[in-house]
Amino acid sequence: MTVDSAPKLVIETKDLVKMYGPHIALQGLNLKLESGATGILGPNGAGKSTFFKCILGLITTTSGDGTVLGYDIRTQGDLIRSKIGYMPEYDSLDPGLSAIDQVRYSGELIGMNPSQATQRAHEVLEYVGLKDQRYRKIETFSTGMKQATKLACALIHDPEILICDEPTNGLDQRARDFMLQTLRNTVNQGGRTVLMSGHVMDDIQEVCDNIVMIHKGKIVVHRRIDELAKQVDEEIEISVWGGSSRMQNSLESRGLSVRRLGRVMRIKVESEETIPLILECAVESGVQVRKMGEYKPDLEDIFLLIMDKLGAEVKQTSDLMTSEHTGGANV
Amino acid sequence: MSDEQINLDGGQTRMEAAYGSDDGDNDSSAIVAKKEASLGAIFEQNYRPWDGSLGPRWVRNYAIFRHHVFGLFTSKGHRHYNPFVRLTILVIFIGAISPIAMLFFSSLFGAGPDSFIDKMWGINRSNLWGQVLGYFPRNLCYWPLLTALVVGGMISDDRRNGTSAIYFSRPVTRGDYTLMKYLSVAVVLGFVIVFSYMAYYTLAIVFKGEGWGFLIDTLPMFLSGLLCSLLLVITYTSIGLALSSISQSRFFSAIAFLSIIYGTKLVALLIDLQFETSILYILSPYDCLAHLGQWLLGLELNYSHSLSLSVVSLIMMNVISIMILISRVSSLEVTRE
Repeated sequence: MTVDSAPKLVIETKDLVKMYGPHIALQGLNLKLESGATGILGPNGAGKSTFFKCILGLITTTSGDGTVLGYDIRTQGDLIRSKIGYMPEYDSLDPGLSAIDQVRYSGELIGMNPSQATQRAHEVLEYVGLKDQRYRKIETFSTGMKQATKLACALIHDPEILICDEPTNGLDQRARDFMLQTLRNTVNQGGRTVLMSGHVMDDIQEVCDNIVMIHKGKIVVHRRIDELAKQVDEEIEISVWGGSSRMQNSLESRGLSVRRLGRVMRIKVESEETIPLILECAVESGVQVRKMGEYKPDLEDIFLLIMDKLGAEVKQTSDLMTSEHTGGANV
Repeated sequence: MSDEQINLDGGQTRMEAAYGSDDGDNDSSAIVAKKEASLGAIFEQNYRPWDGSLGPRWVRNYAIFRHHVFGLFTSKGHRHYNPFVRLTILVIFIGAISPIAMLFFSSLFGAGPDSFIDKMWGINRSNLWGQVLGYFPRNLCYWPLLTALVVGGMISDDRRNGTSAIYFSRPVTRGDYTLMKYLSVAVVLGFVIVFSYMAYYTLAIVFKGEGWGFLIDTLPMFLSGLLCSLLLVITYTSIGLALSSISQSRFFSAIAFLSIIYGTKLVALLIDLQFETSILYILSPYDCLAHLGQWLLGLELNYSHSLSLSVVSLIMMNVISIMILISRVSSLEVTRE
């Protein structure tokens, strides 16, 4: 089943300001989010969590307006939360309960009657891949199974918007792939809107079409990922063997802009002649070109570039990832 | 893109080393990674929509209440209580209703109103007071232990496990959450304390075959005792839940509650013995309740300080506990930072 519907406006904020005492957490946020999958990015302390709390109607805003699915975030928080599924970043499960009981209880907390909640809990646990483990106690679960249970809790009432706070935290590669596939299916098959925050850019790129980047309480970017990528310089990436320095000198002598890291070089595409020029340089320098291709910037490139332009010191994904993010594997 | 949003044109991306990290001027051999075998698909994932309707506020609140109270009787599907906790509560309940057995024997033997059994367990002012506020064993063992076991993880578990996010990311308000937790504890305590008191009075009348005259004579005393039992449940629930809300540990809540109940009593007792003043008993929740209970049931007061001090102290204890409870529940996070 695939849902093809025109994007509709799901979240709108207008001059949204949130202050904690003298500290400004959100500075006049103007945002129009359409249905689909959107990644919320930003360094720690940028205001992502405050933004989530605002759209969940959990905190009162200092000024400004906002609506989620047409409901006012200042006065209709209860209605908003009944339409939203929230998957928290950290553990939020009772270890003494079985998965089916936990998911059922979370359904009851949203207003489902026990029999409806039980039936639906079976469905969503199957959807997140825990059909065979649903009667096991959560205390016996792996991190991946706990993340899947949290997702099931968020999906039990078939929310129109699913908010996932770092959903791949602590997952190994296989569990991570499955989680991302599940989120993609929720968007593509279910036609739901997914808001996803995280530090792992690859994950966001895999699920989301759009990103919203928040920095110091302001939105610095809100665009489609592919449109952003087009703004970055087009480059050719080559890997050479033997005489990299000679190759670099040769390229630079022909007026090409070269960036080099060991054997890998990236040459800015100036015209259609750039590739023939590179090959000529290789012949002239007597080096082997082992690999050559157009370099497509990924989301992490874009993120780091933006943060660099903003003058913010932000580490790469691999620096930010701990064993919790990787499930113990080295990055 | 609005004016305040950043423009990327002309930006250059980062570079990462590949095929080694040397300067690239030497020939070397490439390392070829072994391709991982495909793990295959396990099942077909299909998103199933749900178009049911959600119940109103009371449905959500009742779910919280049911989760905590029903868990005492069956852990299946509800909050998990340790079997030892459930067993202890059962023992306390049996202990609380033990006078009923004595009254039953009394009725079997046909003992008169002046018999030993009737004096010890029959319906009178002292025994009605003692059924709720007697120190040994009820307020030394039963009620404090019962409260400590029930309130132990009531809120602290949500703080420790992060399950507060499950509540507050749903349309459950903090007020409803607090109220339902309070009600759950109060109902469990009430079931043991108030129910055993009511059963004691009712069955005493039945076993002894008392008439309307006895009922009319003793009903005011019974109602006074009932009020005492409700005040005891409210006070212990308030203090216990406040302690549960300030910690992540079940043990802390339980031990802190017992420390407050026993500690204040012990200090006041030592001061009373040493300096012959009962004023410090106003710090002891139990003694404030006992003092008020003696007055309500028309018993001779065995505290030398004014009753009003005990009443004010009792009110203050409840108000402060509830304020702490509300304040700490407000601090429970949905998104941890």
